[in-house]
Amino acid sequence: MMIQAENISMCYRMTYDRVQSMKEYLVQLVKGKIKYEEFWALRNVSFEVDKGEVLGIIGHNGAGKSTLLKVISGILKPTGGQVAVNGTVVPMLELGSGFDADLSGRENVFLNGAILGYPEDFLKAKYEEIAAFSELGQFIDVPLRNYSSGMVMRLAFSIATVVDPDILIVDEILSVGDAPFQEKSKKRMLELMGGGTTVLFVSHSLGQIREMCDRVLWLDHGEMKMLGETKAVCDAYEGE
Amino acid sequence: MNEKKVKRGCAIALAAYILLAAVFNWVCGDQLRFRDEQTDMLSASGVIGEITSDTVVTQRIQVDGDRLLGLTLYGATYARQNTGWLCVEICLGEQVLATRNVDVSTMADNSAFYLGLEGPADIPEDGSLILRITAPESVPGNAVTLYSGRTMAAAHAEVDMSLTEEECVHINGVALDTALCTQLLSREDLWFGQYYWYVAAAGLLVLAIYCLVLMLRNKAGKRSLVLNMFAAFTRYRYLMKQLVARDFKTKYKRSVLGVLWSFLNPLLTMVVQYIVFSTLFRSDIPNFALYLLTGIVCFNFFSEATTMALGSIVNNAPLITKVYVPKYIYPLTRVMSSAVNFLLALIPLFAVMLITGTPVRVSILLMPAGLLCLFAVSLGIGMLLASAMVFFRDTQFLWGVVSMLWMYATPIFYPESIIPASFMTLYKCNPLYHIIRFIRIVLMDGISPEPKAYALMAIASFVPLALGVLVFKRTQDRFVLHI
Repeated sequence: MMIQAENISMCYRMTYDRVQSMKEYLVQLVKGKIKYEEFWALRNVSFEVDKGEVLGIIGHNGAGKSTLLKVISGILKPTGGQVAVNGTVVPMLELGSGFDADLSGRENVFLNGAILGYPEDFLKAKYEEIAAFSELGQFIDVPLRNYSSGMVMRLAFSIATVVDPDILIVDEILSVGDAPFQEKSKKRMLELMGGGTTVLFVSHSLGQIREMCDRVLWLDHGEMKMLGETKAVCDAYEGE
Repeated sequence: MNEKKVKRGCAIALAAYILLAAVFNWVCGDQLRFRDEQTDMLSASGVIGEITSDTVVTQRIQVDGDRLLGLTLYGATYARQNTGWLCVEICLGEQVLATRNVDVSTMADNSAFYLGLEGPADIPEDGSLILRITAPESVPGNAVTLYSGRTMAAAHAEVDMSLTEEECVHINGVALDTALCTQLLSREDLWFGQYYWYVAAAGLLVLAIYCLVLMLRNKAGKRSLVLNMFAAFTRYRYLMKQLVARDFKTKYKRSVLGVLWSFLNPLLTMVVQYIVFSTLFRSDIPNFALYLLTGIVCFNFFSEATTMALGSIVNNAPLITKVYVPKYIYPLTRVMSSAVNFLLALIPLFAVMLITGTPVRVSILLMPAGLLCLFAVSLGIGMLLASAMVFFRDTQFLWGVVSMLWMYATPIFYPESIIPASFMTLYKCNPLYHIIRFIRIVLMDGISPEPKAYALMAIASFVPLALGVLVFKRTQDRFVLHI
C-alpha cells in the first residue's frame, strides 16, 4: 500500500477581508467583527492506492482536486482524517519552484533539484541528462534572468521529470516550449507515468485519463462521488 | 535507522564528551575553581595624619569571599624619605589572622601600593574584619600617612557613601569622618570547580544511559527525538547546503567588491563608531577598538540573522505552497547563511586583536561556546519572528524599531558600568548581554569567565530558542493558509 487516505477533510476559514495587520486585527476583534466563513474543500475522502497503480482524479473546477494533491504531498495538513504515504513523493504541481534569477542554469539545476528532494549523487549523475534534455546548450551557464520564459520552462521541465520517485503527483500533463519540445515533453511525461511508479493524476482531459489510469476518483464539491474502474467512472462523469 | 550507525554515533558522542570535559578543565584552569574579587576604592579626600609609634589605626572592612589575599592602600610620604616600617594586620576581634610589614622607605608619595598577605586570612561568615595599622618605630617628622575619603566615583558624579561612625577609620579609638582608601582582593572557592570531575562524571553517566536507551529503542523500532533529528539532518543536508550557497552567492552577486564586504562592513562600522565614541563621547574602556568590534560583529550577526529569518516564510511563499519541505528549513538556512558571514567577519576581528597587541591565549578555544549560544538566540528569535510575520505583516516594521532598541540595550559601544544599578536586573535579562560579555572576557581578558557566566549564557540562549521553536511548531501548519 503506497497511499492510504482515511476520511480526509479540509476546511478553509475565510474572512471577508483578510486581516493582516495587528492593529486591524485588534480593532476588528474589539468590534466583534472577525467572522469566518467556513469552506470545506474536501469532506471525508478515503481511498487507497497500491504500488504501481495509476489513480486518476477528475471533477469540475473547484471540486477539490488540487487540494487533495496538496494534502497528499504534505503541503497542506488536513483538518480531519489521516494520510499515510510510504515512500518519496515528487509533486509536479508547478515547474521551477525556487528558481533564483541571479543564479546560472547549472546552479539552478542543483538548487531546484535539492528543493524537490533529489539526493546529491543522483543530481550529479543526472546533470548531463538534464542539461541535454533542456536543449539549452551553452546558455546553461548564463544567469536565469537572461532566459526567455520558454527556456526557463524547458529547464524546469527537465529537472522535474528526471526523477525516479516512489510516488508521482501530476496536476495535468505538462507540455511546454515550442511544438517539437511539447511533443518531446509529453512523451517524457507519459513514459514516466507508464514506468511502473505509483501515480496520482489530475486532468481535465478524459481521453488522457482513460488512456493512463487503472482507477478513477471523481470528486464533486469536495466529496467523493465515485471511485472505481476507469471506464465506469468516466462514462458516468461524461453522462452527467 | 541503521543499528551500526547509531552505535558509532553514540561512541563518537561519548568520546567527544570526555575530550571536551578534559579540554575545558585545562583551558579554564583556576577560573573554574576560584573567583577573585576586588572591591572599589573610595576617592581620596585627605590624609589621616602621620602614623607614628603611638598611633593605632583601625578600620572595619567588609569583604565577600572565602579568603582575603591582599589589599591596596593609598599612601603619602609628605614628600620626604622616611624610615621604619608599617605593620598591617588583619584581625577578627582580638585575634590576628594575617600580617604584612612594609618598609616605608620603599613607599612612593601619593600612590597606591598592593600588599599581598603572608598566608591568606579566612573571611568569617559576615565578611567583617578589622584592619589594624601601626608603625612601631616611626616618630613625628619621619613617618608616612594614608589617604582616606567618604565618596566614590560613579558614572557622572561623586557619590557620598554615607559612612556610619563604625565604618570610619579610627585613630587610637577615635573616629574620623572618613574611611581609609583601600581595595580588597579576596578569593571565593567555587563549588563547581571543587567538584568539577564529579559533575563531569555524572554528565558522562547520564549521556551513557541515554545512549543505551537510544540504542534499545532503535532496536525495538521505536522513534526517538534525537535519532529523528539526525535522520532529518542527513536527509535535508543537501538542501540546506544549496539554500545557504544560494543566499551567499546572490548576496554579493552584482557588487564589485563581492565577498570583501563581509570583512569591510563591520570594519567600517567600527571605524565610524570608534571615531564617534573616542572623540565626541569620551569613554575610558581599555582596548576600545576590540571592545567595540566584538560588540558590533556579534550584534550584526544577530540583527542580520533575525531580519533575514523574519521574511523567510513569507518570501518563500511560492515554494511553500508547491513543494513539501519541513518549514523550519527556511529560517534555519537564513540564520546559517548569516553565520557564514559572521565567521568571515571574525577575520577582521582577529586582525584587530593582533594589531592592538591583545595577547592570544588558550581561552580563545572557549569562543565556540559563545558563538553557539549566539546562534541559538538568533535562531529562536528568528523563528518567532518568521511565525509572527505570517499572521501579522506589521512585524517587519515593528522589528526595525525593536531591534534598534535592542541594540541600545546591549553594551556594544558603552561600558555596562554606566547602567544605573536599579536597572541592572532588567538589563541582564537581555540574552545578548551575557553572550557578548562572555566573548569579550574570553578574547580580551584571555581567561575563562566564572562558571556562573556559562550557566547564565546557556539559560539566556536556551529560553529564546525554546520559545521560538515552540511557537513555530504550533503555528507552522497554518502558514500555508496565510501566505
